[in-house]
Amino acid sequence: MNAPPLLEARNLQKHFAVKGAGLFAGRIGTVRAVEDVSLALAAGKTFALVGESGCGKTTLARTLALLHRPSAGAIHFRGKEITHLKGRQLKLLRRDIQVIFQDPYGSLDPRMTVAAIVSEPLRIHRVGDRRGRAERVRELMDAVGLSPALADRYPHEFSGGQRQRIGIARALALNPKLVIADEPVSALDVSVQSQVLNLLQDLQEAFGLTYLLVSHDLAVVAHMAHRVAVMYLGRIVETAPRDDLFARPSHPYTQALLRAVPRPGGGKRRPGGGLGGEVPNPLSPPAGCPFHPRCPRAEDICREQLPALEAVPGSGDGHRAACHFKGWE
Amino acid sequence: MSGAPRSMAALTARRFARHRMAVAGALVLVALALSALAAPLVEVWLGIDANEVDLLARFEGRSAAHPLGADELGRDVLVRLLYGGRVSLFVALATALAAAVIGTVIGLVAGYYGRWADAVLMRVTDGVIALPILPLLIILAAVDMSKIPLVAALAETENASLYRIVLIITLVGWTTVARLVRGTALSLREREYVVAARGMGASGFRIMATHILPNTVSPIIVATTLSVGNVILFESVLSFLGLGIQPPIASWGNMLNNAQELIYEAPALAFYPGALIFLTVIAFNFLGDGLQDALDPKAVHG
Amino acid sequence: MKRYVAGRLLESLVVLALMSYLIYGLIGLMPGDPIDIMVQADPDLTPADAARLKALYGLDKPLHERYLNWLSAALGGDFGYSRVHNAPALDVLGPRLVNTLVLMGLSFVVSLAIALPIGIYSALRPYGARDYAINFAALAGISVPVFWLALMLIYLFAVAWGVLPAGGMQTIGVDSLADKALYLVLPVLTLSAASAGGFTRFVRASTMETMRQDYIRTARAKGLPERRVVLKHALRNALIPVVTIVALSFGSLFSGALITETMFSYRGMGKLIYDSIMGNDYNLALVGLLFATVLTLLANLAADVCYAWLDPRISYQGPA
Repeated sequence: MNAPPLLEARNLQKHFAVKGAGLFAGRIGTVRAVEDVSLALAAGKTFALVGESGCGKTTLARTLALLHRPSAGAIHFRGKEITHLKGRQLKLLRRDIQVIFQDPYGSLDPRMTVAAIVSEPLRIHRVGDRRGRAERVRELMDAVGLSPALADRYPHEFSGGQRQRIGIARALALNPKLVIADEPVSALDVSVQSQVLNLLQDLQEAFGLTYLLVSHDLAVVAHMAHRVAVMYLGRIVETAPRDDLFARPSHPYTQALLRAVPRPGGGKRRPGGGLGGEVPNPLSPPAGCPFHPRCPRAEDICREQLPALEAVPGSGDGHRAACHFKGWE
Repeated sequence: MSGAPRSMAALTARRFARHRMAVAGALVLVALALSALAAPLVEVWLGIDANEVDLLARFEGRSAAHPLGADELGRDVLVRLLYGGRVSLFVALATALAAAVIGTVIGLVAGYYGRWADAVLMRVTDGVIALPILPLLIILAAVDMSKIPLVAALAETENASLYRIVLIITLVGWTTVARLVRGTALSLREREYVVAARGMGASGFRIMATHILPNTVSPIIVATTLSVGNVILFESVLSFLGLGIQPPIASWGNMLNNAQELIYEAPALAFYPGALIFLTVIAFNFLGDGLQDALDPKAVHG
Repeated sequence: MKRYVAGRLLESLVVLALMSYLIYGLIGLMPGDPIDIMVQADPDLTPADAARLKALYGLDKPLHERYLNWLSAALGGDFGYSRVHNAPALDVLGPRLVNTLVLMGLSFVVSLAIALPIGIYSALRPYGARDYAINFAALAGISVPVFWLALMLIYLFAVAWGVLPAGGMQTIGVDSLADKALYLVLPVLTLSAASAGGFTRFVRASTMETMRQDYIRTARAKGLPERRVVLKHALRNALIPVVTIVALSFGSLFSGALITETMFSYRGMGKLIYDSIMGNDYNLALVGLLFATVLTLLANLAADVCYAWLDPRISYQGPA
C-alpha cells in the first residue's frame, strides 16, 4: 500500500441549503450530507462505501465524481488537486472518472438507442469519427456481454441486468481510470446480481480499473471490496481492509449492520439484535457522537464529545473507527 | 426504428382519434386553412378584387356576384373573409410559435440551471402572468413604434401592423410554455441519465438539447395549440378596437370594426367574421384538448 | 405563514414598481405628447414656444428623472389632472372603479352559480352524453370573442326583439334600481360566458380528481351513501383549488370587463382606460392602468395566500 492513491479526499464536506419558497424566502436549514470525510482509493482496487440509505454515501460518491461541488475540503486525483476544476480541464478530467448508476431504468435516456447511449461519451469528447465510434460501440457491447446486433434497440427492450450492462459499457467508453459504481446491482434480481458483479470484477482485471463501490448490501461489499468504509450520518465511522472489517468490526454501528445480515445456510442471526430506532433527521443531527441515540453502549461522553476516527488498538493495518469504546466484541 | 416506439405513436394516434371533437376540430382547421390559402383563386373565380370599393353594391345581400353579400363600401364579404382568415391564422400561428420558442428557452434555462436563474426568470414570469393583459396590450398597440429606435425600421414597412401585433402578443404570451417547460426540466434534471450526461462532461447546452428538450415536446405542443385560440381572440379584439391589423389589410377583427354602428342596417356583416373567429378558436381548443389526452393521458387538466 | 405573506407582498410591490415605470415609459411613447397636441390646437405657437413649454413641464428631461418626479407626486396623492375630464385623475377614476367592481362582482356570482352545480354534475357522471354537451358548452364559452358575443346579444335582445337596452347605464330621467338592473343584464351575461366556461371545466376536473382519492374509496367502502360521500368528503376538498382559480381569474375577467364596458357604453374603469389611451389623456390612462395592475396583483396575492392557507400539504415553514 505504498503506491500513491489514485484519488484522495481530505476533510470533505457537502452541505445543502434548504430554502423556503419564493425569492425573498430565507434559508430554513442545512443538511450536512457529507461531514469531514477523508479517504484514499488505491489504484486497481475496489473501495466500498457502505451504510443505510440517507447516510450520505451517494452524495459522497457524487461529490468525488465532481457532480456536486464540495462545500469544504479537497479532492486530489493522481496527485493533482481537482476540487475547483472548471471548464475544459474539468471536461478532460471527466474522461478519467466515470459513473455507473443505480437505476438501470432511469439512467438511460428512453429516447436513445443503445448505440447512441454507449457512444454518447465519445461524441461529447469528440473521440473518433462516425465509423470509429460504431466500431468502439461493438467492442464495448462485446466486452460487457451484449450482442452488438442489439445496438439499434431501445433501452425498454432490455431486462434490468442487460440495461446495467449498457450503463457499464457507456462508463467504459472513454477508458476511465476510476469507475464510481453507485449501488450498481441493488435494483436487479438477486439471480442477476452476481452476474453483473462478476462482470465488474472481470473488467477490473482486464482494464486495471479502480472502483468506488457504493452499496447498502454487505454481501455485495464482501464479494467485491478490498477496503471498506462504513458511513453514518455523513461521516465515516469505521474503515478497514475487507477481511479485517468483517472479522473484527469495532464500531457498534458496524457490528449492528453485520448482525442484521442473514447468515448463509439459514442459521440464526447473531445474538444481540439489529438496529433499533431510526436514523435522526439530518437537519438536526444529535450532539456528540451522531450514533449515540441508537447505540446500546452509549454513555455520557458519547452525548457530549464527537469521537475521532482513530486506529483500533490491537487490530491490523489501517483499521480505524470513530467510537469512544472502539474494539471488537 | 424498433417496433415499440411505433406502437407508442399508434397508441397516441388511437387515443386522439377517440376524441371525436378533436378530430372534428382538426378537420375544420384544415378546411379553414385551405380556403384561406385559396383566397386569390376565389378572387379570380368571382372576378372581383378584395379591396375594390363599389358603392353601388353597398349592403347588397347574397347574390351570384357576392355569395355572402357586400359590406358598407361594397366590397365582397366572402373574399374579405378569406383574406382576413389568412391574416388571422398567420398572426396566430406566428405568435404562438414565437411565444413557444421564447417560453421554451426561458423554461429550459430556469428549470435546468435552477438557483438564481430559476428564481429570477420565474419571478419575471409570475410578474407577467399577474398583469392585466388586455389594457397592457392596448397601450403596447397604441405606442408609436417610430419612437423606439430598434423597431423604427419595422414601423415603416407595409405590413407594420401585422408585425406589431405578433410582437406584442408574443411579449405577453410566452408564460404558459415557460412554466410547463420549466416544470418538466426541473424534474428531468434529477433523472439519472441527465446526471450521467453531466458526469460524462456534457455541457449544459448539450444536455438541454439532447436529453431535456425532446422530453418536453408533448407539453409544448399542447400548450401552443391551446394558446393559438387565445392569440386569435387577442388579435381580433385589438383589431376590432382599431389597434391591431390596420385596413386595407383585412382581418376578422377589423372587419367587425364598423359592425356595431351598422348593426341595425346590416347585422349579417357583424355575424360572419365573429362566427369564423369563434369557430377557429373552439376548433383549436378542442384540438388542444384531444392532443393533451393523447400525448399525456395521466394529466388532469382544468 | 406570516413570513410567506410578507415575502409575497414584497414581491408584488417590486412588480408594481417595475410596472409603473414600464407603463410610464410606454405612455411617453404614445403618439403625440401633450405639448404636441397644444401646438396642433393652437397654430400661433412656434416651435420655440413648444420647446419652452416642454422645459416648463419638465418634458425635456430624461425618462427616469420624469418618472421619479411623477412618482414622488403620486406617493403624495397627486396623480395629475385629466385633460379630457378637467378634473383630478383620481376623482374621475373613483366612481368608475365602483361601477366596474359591480359588473365584475355580479359576473363572478353568475358564473359560479352556473359553474359549481354543472361542473360537479358533470364530474359525477363523466363521459356521458350530458358531460360531453356540458364540455362543449364550456369550451364554447371560453372560445367566443367577447366583443362579438356582445354584438350578437345587442342584435338579438335590443335590435331584433327590443326587450333590453343596447347600452348605457340607466334610462335618462329614471332613477330606480330595477331600471339600472335592466341595463346590467346584457353586460353581465357577456362577461360571464368565458369565466363560466373556464370555471365549469375547472370544477369538473377538480371534483373528478378528488373522487379518485383513497379517502373517497374508503368512505364508499364503509358503506356511506353516495350523497354523503360527495357532500361531506369530496366537495370540501374539490373546492379548495376552485377558490384559487377564481382569484387568479381576476386579470382575465378585467380584460373581459374592458371589452364589455366598451361595447355597452358602461361607464366603468375598463372603458375609461381605453378611452383615455385613445384620447391621449395620459395622466388618466396612467392612473387607470396602475389601479388595474394593483387590483390584479392583489387578487393574485389573495389566490396564493388562500392556497397556502387552505392546503395543509404545503408548508411554508420548511420540514418540521
